[in-house]
Amino acid sequence: MTVITPEGERRDAYRLIETTEDAKAPAGNAAGSKPLVPLALLGEIETPEAPFGLFVENTAEIAEIAPHLGSVDLIAIAFPAFSDGRGFSLAKRLRREGFTGTLRAKGPLIADQFADALACGFDEVDIPDTMANRQPVQQWLEMKDTMSVHYQTGFGEGKSILQQRMAAREEAAR
Amino acid sequence: MAKDHRAGSKVKGDKLPAIVMASDLLEGDTVFLAETGWTRDSKAARIAHDQESADAMEAEGKAAAAANAVVDPYLVPVEITEEGHPLARHFRDVMRQKGPSIHPDMGKQADFGPIA
Amino acid sequence: MYRYDEFDERFVRERVAQFGEQVKRRLDGSLTEDEFKPLRLKNGLYLQLHAYMLRVAIPYGTLSGRQLRQLAKIARDYDKGYGHFTTRQNIQFNWPKLKDVPAILDLLADVEMHAIQTSGNCIRNTTADQFSGVAADEVEDPRPTAELLRQWSSQHPEFVWLPRKFKIAVTGAEHDRAAIRVHDIGLRMRRNEAGEPGYEISVGGGLGRTPMIGKVIREFLPKDELLAYVEAIMRVYNAEGRRDNKFKARVKILVHETGTEEFTARVEEEYAKLDGPTVNAPLEEVERIAAYFAPPAYEDLPAESVTLGEARKADAGLDRFVEQNGFAHKQPGYIALTISLKPIGGVPGDMSADQMEAFADIAERYSLGELRVTHSQNLVLPYVKKDDLPALYAELKTHDLATANAGLVTDIIACPGLDYCALATAKSIPIAQEIAKTFADDARQKAIGELPIKISGCINACGHHHVGAIGILGLEKGGRENYQITVGGDATEHASLGERLGPGIDAEDVPGAIEALVETYLSEREGSESFIETVRRTGADPFKASFAGFIETRAAQEAAE
Ligand code: SF4
Repeated sequence: MTVITPEGERRDAYRLIETTEDAKAPAGNAAGSKPLVPLALLGEIETPEAPFGLFVENTAEIAEIAPHLGSVDLIAIAFPAFSDGRGFSLAKRLRREGFTGTLRAKGPLIADQFADALACGFDEVDIPDTMANRQPVQQWLEMKDTMSVHYQTGFGEGKSILQQRMAAREEAAR
Repeated sequence: MAKDHRAGSKVKGDKLPAIVMASDLLEGDTVFLAETGWTRDSKAARIAHDQESADAMEAEGKAAAAANAVVDPYLVPVEITEEGHPLARHFRDVMRQKGPSIHPDMGKQADFGPIA
Repeated sequence: MYRYDEFDERFVRERVAQFGEQVKRRLDGSLTEDEFKPLRLKNGLYLQLHAYMLRVAIPYGTLSGRQLRQLAKIARDYDKGYGHFTTRQNIQFNWPKLKDVPAILDLLADVEMHAIQTSGNCIRNTTADQFSGVAADEVEDPRPTAELLRQWSSQHPEFVWLPRKFKIAVTGAEHDRAAIRVHDIGLRMRRNEAGEPGYEISVGGGLGRTPMIGKVIREFLPKDELLAYVEAIMRVYNAEGRRDNKFKARVKILVHETGTEEFTARVEEEYAKLDGPTVNAPLEEVERIAAYFAPPAYEDLPAESVTLGEARKADAGLDRFVEQNGFAHKQPGYIALTISLKPIGGVPGDMSADQMEAFADIAERYSLGELRVTHSQNLVLPYVKKDDLPALYAELKTHDLATANAGLVTDIIACPGLDYCALATAKSIPIAQEIAKTFADDARQKAIGELPIKISGCINACGHHHVGAIGILGLEKGGRENYQITVGGDATEHASLGERLGPGIDAEDVPGAIEALVETYLSEREGSESFIETVRRTGADPFKASFAGFIETRAAQEAAE
């Protein structure tokens, strides 16, 4: 898996816990040291030392995730397919819930979705290596910046077109 | 138009003989697997008369799709006309092979003439 | 008309460049076909039976003469000299090449047009009443709302990977000409008891495999809360709409399966949570957009034109044209005109590049440079002076654009069907052509009166057959094309779905079957009832009976042959 942030590729500091056995294994330094725990597994293992990472399906309810928000510093949302946009809405809702840690989109996303993911509140993506081979990090960084303006207020960084128009009007009125 | 593509057409009974039809990636028009490479003239299409050749041709089509030359290759059951040309058996495939029925002046029928 | 400012311009230009990059990355293998397909669809590009097809957005059906001229240029330089107007007020080019598409998009951007989100699982082009701003029965102009939604929905980061396509329509008139109840979201502009402007909002209408009429989930939403409320609907749908089966993925199924009440509750809950004021457009922005749609500088004219009155007496053709294709205008002395793209035997909705150019001139000379596209695949000249009509009519005739059949039995809606469409199960256009020929006689058409016939070439229902007074659906049965006939569909404020009359029939039997249904109507009708009014009163039974009779006769004829 390859983790890509707006600054480029990054070493993954988290290690996915897939079974209760995994949870017991000592954290090596090689593959990341913090555990990334699936929400469904959280009740079955000894709760790791905070802060840890939480891995959620894109169908997870906010109510299920909310109790853990204080003890996790990363939430990875599963993207079963690039064309399944549920994760975007979940990210938006998690941010609204006040989560300020790292939000990660995990799955076979394509570079063309990077800007949208960031605008919905994600900080990074974690894509399979097969995808990263076809769409290397450079493409992600380029596609991220293809659009410099957006209409929707409340999404992404920078002012929306509507806000920029407002600002221009105020400027002109002055 | 809701979805973008409908897989190969259903024809009852024997699926042979058959040709392979696809869309050219760059131009978007219908192309047919020929003896070597692809042709736009269905009269020059390679014809599979047995299952083994059909399978091999289908694999060739898929390889061309993987190599970004064509899109959606599939086997098309045909009958052989008096002059020895393949003619698709399903009306949808015929439409692709010839061109729009409402515009005889467009599509393959305009470029390569009728199929007899 | 709305004009792009620097931001709109930059947005569209960057989108063109982005698509150019996507094409390059498809060709170099960075993107697989499966990945590229939704990207090209979101830019209106399909791969059809014979070629790519590019669907260009015509926001709420409004075009300038300059834009139409550019479409003519594209048709001539990159296509085969014609374009096809669709049931969603868009235009399609049937023969572009992938490598030319970025250049075509540039030409579109030159005239403030694009192909963004005319396809794909995202919010599509917002449609509106074609008589917006001029209809005598209009309460409020829907175009500023449609334009606001166009901007807001363009590349919305959260809603470009929806379970399925999503269509919004707006009307501001008493009579619904935008078919809002068969859209995913239908907005009806209205005022509350205090006289404040707002919307009645319905969700979950749609045609396709499971046709449904939209349910009202909000009787009144204050006008300035629109974007936040729509965002709430979209978020609920994006999160909960089904993704396991594409035939159940439209919001209508979600509304149906959850129940209108529960669905409404979820939307309201989401709406309560989101920070409305940050999402909604500021009042100044709404006003800025609305200013573009202010009424043009009309001349002060008497309501009736003497020139026209005399010309109508002298020319029966003109008289008939005005009677059939004229539409009551708000402004005294003016008239709106439907320009039929349904000449007998033609392809419904097709227009040649020559016609487009000529019509662009006509719109500039006679209609303040503006024209509209209707969802029944016709055009409208919205600002015609009655005094100008005789001269205008003469010009339209020279370009074969004066067919006086708006709303009549030969004004048939037909999707592209199997002649072009990769999804089709049967031909659609040739059926329309044969029916039109059968009823070509003017006097006969006039006697039959208003009769919307709608034809789709597959279950996706782009031809809106469910809401045709007579609907025709082409399917494949036993390796042949087979057509199912319905009666009683209606897309207006009396929205209803057609009822099937019996088993499917062969293509060559369709015109005869339609004749049988028309005969039934003529014998059943009371007073000045239209076809649909008669069906509403009698129910489908008399039509089922005559349809069965027709099938029996045909079977007997075939047995005899
Ligand atoms: S109804 Fe079917 S055949 Fe007609 S245009 Fe739509 S998808 Fe194609």
